Amino acid sequence: MTRALPTATTQSVTSEFVLSAASQALCDAFADAAAQAPWQSYICNACGYVYHEADGDPDGGLPPGTRLADIPDDWACPLCGVTKADFSPYEAPTLEALRAQASAAPAASLRVRGEPGVVIVGAGRAGWQLAETLRQHSATLPITLVTACAGDRYDKPLLSVAMARQLDPLALVSETGRDAAHRLGVTLLAHTHAVRICADTRQLRTTRGVLRYGHLALAHGAQAALPPGLPASLCWRINHLDAYQRLRQHLGDQPKDVLIIGAGLVGSELANDLALGGHHITLLDTATEPLARWHDQQAGPQLLDAWKDLSIRFEGGLQVEQVERVGSRYRVSTTSGRRFAADEVVVAAGLLPPHRLAQSAGLDWTHGIAVDAGTLQTSVSRIHAMGDCISIDGQCSRYIEPIARQARTLAAAILGQPVAPYEHRAAVVRVKTTTRPLTLH
Amino acid sequence: MNPADLPPQLHLDRALRGDALLAAVREIAQGPLAAQVEAIDRTGYYPCAELQQLAAVGAMSAHLDSTAGPADYGLAIRAMAEASRVCGATGFMMWCQAVCGLYLQQSGNPTLMGDVLQRHASGAGMGGTALSNPMKSYAQIESLLLKATPVEGGYLVNGTLPWVSNLGPDHYCGAIAAVVEADGAASQREVMFLLRCDAPGVEMRECPSFSAMEGTGTYALRLKDHFIGTADTMADPTRPFIARIRAAFVMLQCGMAVGITQGAIDSMWAVEAQLGHVNQFLEDRPDALQAELDALTARVMQLAQTPFDTSTDFFIDVLDARAHGAELCLRAAQSALMHQGARGYLMSSDVQRRVRESHFVAIVTPAIKHLRKEIARLSTEEMPA
Repeated sequence: MTRALPTATTQSVTSEFVLSAASQALCDAFADAAAQAPWQSYICNACGYVYHEADGDPDGGLPPGTRLADIPDDWACPLCGVTKADFSPYEAPTLEALRAQASAAPAASLRVRGEPGVVIVGAGRAGWQLAETLRQHSATLPITLVTACAGDRYDKPLLSVAMARQLDPLALVSETGRDAAHRLGVTLLAHTHAVRICADTRQLRTTRGVLRYGHLALAHGAQAALPPGLPASLCWRINHLDAYQRLRQHLGDQPKDVLIIGAGLVGSELANDLALGGHHITLLDTATEPLARWHDQQAGPQLLDAWKDLSIRFEGGLQVEQVERVGSRYRVSTTSGRRFAADEVVVAAGLLPPHRLAQSAGLDWTHGIAVDAGTLQTSVSRIHAMGDCISIDGQCSRYIEPIARQARTLAAAILGQPVAPYEHRAAVVRVKTTTRPLTLH
Repeated sequence: MNPADLPPQLHLDRALRGDALLAAVREIAQGPLAAQVEAIDRTGYYPCAELQQLAAVGAMSAHLDSTAGPADYGLAIRAMAEASRVCGATGFMMWCQAVCGLYLQQSGNPTLMGDVLQRHASGAGMGGTALSNPMKSYAQIESLLLKATPVEGGYLVNGTLPWVSNLGPDHYCGAIAAVVEADGAASQREVMFLLRCDAPGVEMRECPSFSAMEGTGTYALRLKDHFIGTADTMADPTRPFIARIRAAFVMLQCGMAVGITQGAIDSMWAVEAQLGHVNQFLEDRPDALQAELDALTARVMQLAQTPFDTSTDFFIDVLDARAHGAELCLRAAQSALMHQGARGYLMSSDVQRRVRESHFVAIVTPAIKHLRKEIARLSTEEMPA
């Protein structure tokens, strides 16, 4: 193949008288070579250094335009020192060709070869129940449990009756997370926050590093809601053992004035139990009676009747607007202008599942993580959910009874065993107001 | 309203935007900057001229509101990535210059927002940020090193800051000092100010040699009764100011991580034809890393649309994206060295330099461990104390 020299170059070479003879010779060589064939590249078989004839190796005494054939035998590769005999012709491949070559290789990466097992987020009843059930069916499956708390096992319903039963709040733990993890052969990452799911690479990002998962089970529950205007730093929310223990520590042994905002299940049960413990309770709600959700079953009037000898004052039809600290106490103001004073303020305004993880993975969401009713599978493959964070057909169900059945269904789905579909049933609610327990439907 | 009462406008009539800016940055990075990379790394050459070239095309001012257009954080991050792909140290100095511009523009101080910012954005003025220690202080990791005592018309500042980058004799940086009351009692208040290296009471001290960052103009600053007045005040008090800029501050660093990771992937492909038959046995292959990098870049570009969102959830997202960038950068640089083998291990190789640069991305404030600690702190449900 021949290539014509650009006219301008030819003219400048022939018209300049000041060019030294050596330069002239070099230019001629350059022109001749260029006229003969395109520059070639050669790769060092030892180290991969690429010698481009066009560039030469000026530091090694080879001017630009030195052909491989013209390189002296004592020239050394600038990177590794071998001679030109160890060089082979090289043509730079395109990125597309390299990609094709790389993807044709067997077993593209470790990610698809290893067995990362199951990662469970949440160490409440749901998370531990799933770990137990999985372990019953598989002795070898790697299970990792990620939890923001210590991971200690306890019965959350006891938080509503601890005073009535004279239970020490520090003795509610039935098994430490560490012991349970050891017994079940589970890796427990306690005090670890799950931050983000990367569904495409099947990774869970946490505050202690990144975990790969084969299956991911979200059992992180729901958080106590905090209506606007109520500062987190002033209001207790009791949905975890840790917060309950700290509240009890603050209350101490002497009777205190406790104001509870929200007279649903949790608010009413706590009011009942703290009053039995000798504290003076003011219970506020926007409805005109406690347990207003069960109005047709007369739950409210029954409860008020049962409470008539306890220090519980129920104030209905009130919307709290503001909570402030005044000295060592708190002032709670309502939209209608009423004011209450208390030593501690507890908010029991329902539960909301946190949406960070679900959102990061693009999971379908309807008041909670939307899961298939039969399989508890989310909208993204290999991601499952159970317990307080899920919704089935748009309905949340935050009770204890379904959890064992959900764990059985989910474990079977994860282990590839025949799945007994989970049946979503209306829950029977047992109100643990010990002065008069109620069963509601 | 009197036009004189409006905040000064930043005039950047020669700055490029969009793809034109990225192309110009690429040209500088692969031309004059590439020619100096070894000097920057090995002999501590401070690339003043190259940084000024980058500033002149608008590479460190795309995130500022100016006559060239509204602030574009995505563009600023991509510009930083283009330079970091060639030289991580230069990418870091671009970040220093960029956040210093952010402080100046957000200060609300007409003196700083006028001439000082104008010179800064054009590259005539250069500066950095001494906020490593304050950022760790706000995240409850360490306490503030500078103390400011109120005096007539301002404060007297004392103390020593280690490791402030992108400095020179006529450079400056944003700094924060804890206000100490006249009786010596600590207050819960801080003051932020523009600290000029050539001002009375300011001494620059050489630092011991730095891995990969020797050319970044990094010095310790020793302050002795250094006076700051209202003209140099960036924020007083500082907490609302920091709350407003913290996400932008952290987010901009993603440019370094993205660029260094891309450079590492480039060097894996460079040896694929020759070494693919053995490299296939390595984890973290270039195609998988590229997919992960592309997903992360898309996430950062999404975050870059609302840099001044002050919600906790948004800040956690920014911190996590920055952490992911650092982790990916470490993996990619490490894997690039495995891919290149002995050739990448030569002191003249960009592959081993990039390993050191990736370590810097992982340890510079906020380091991976700081990011995780801060995410944990912000994720914990707050209860009455």
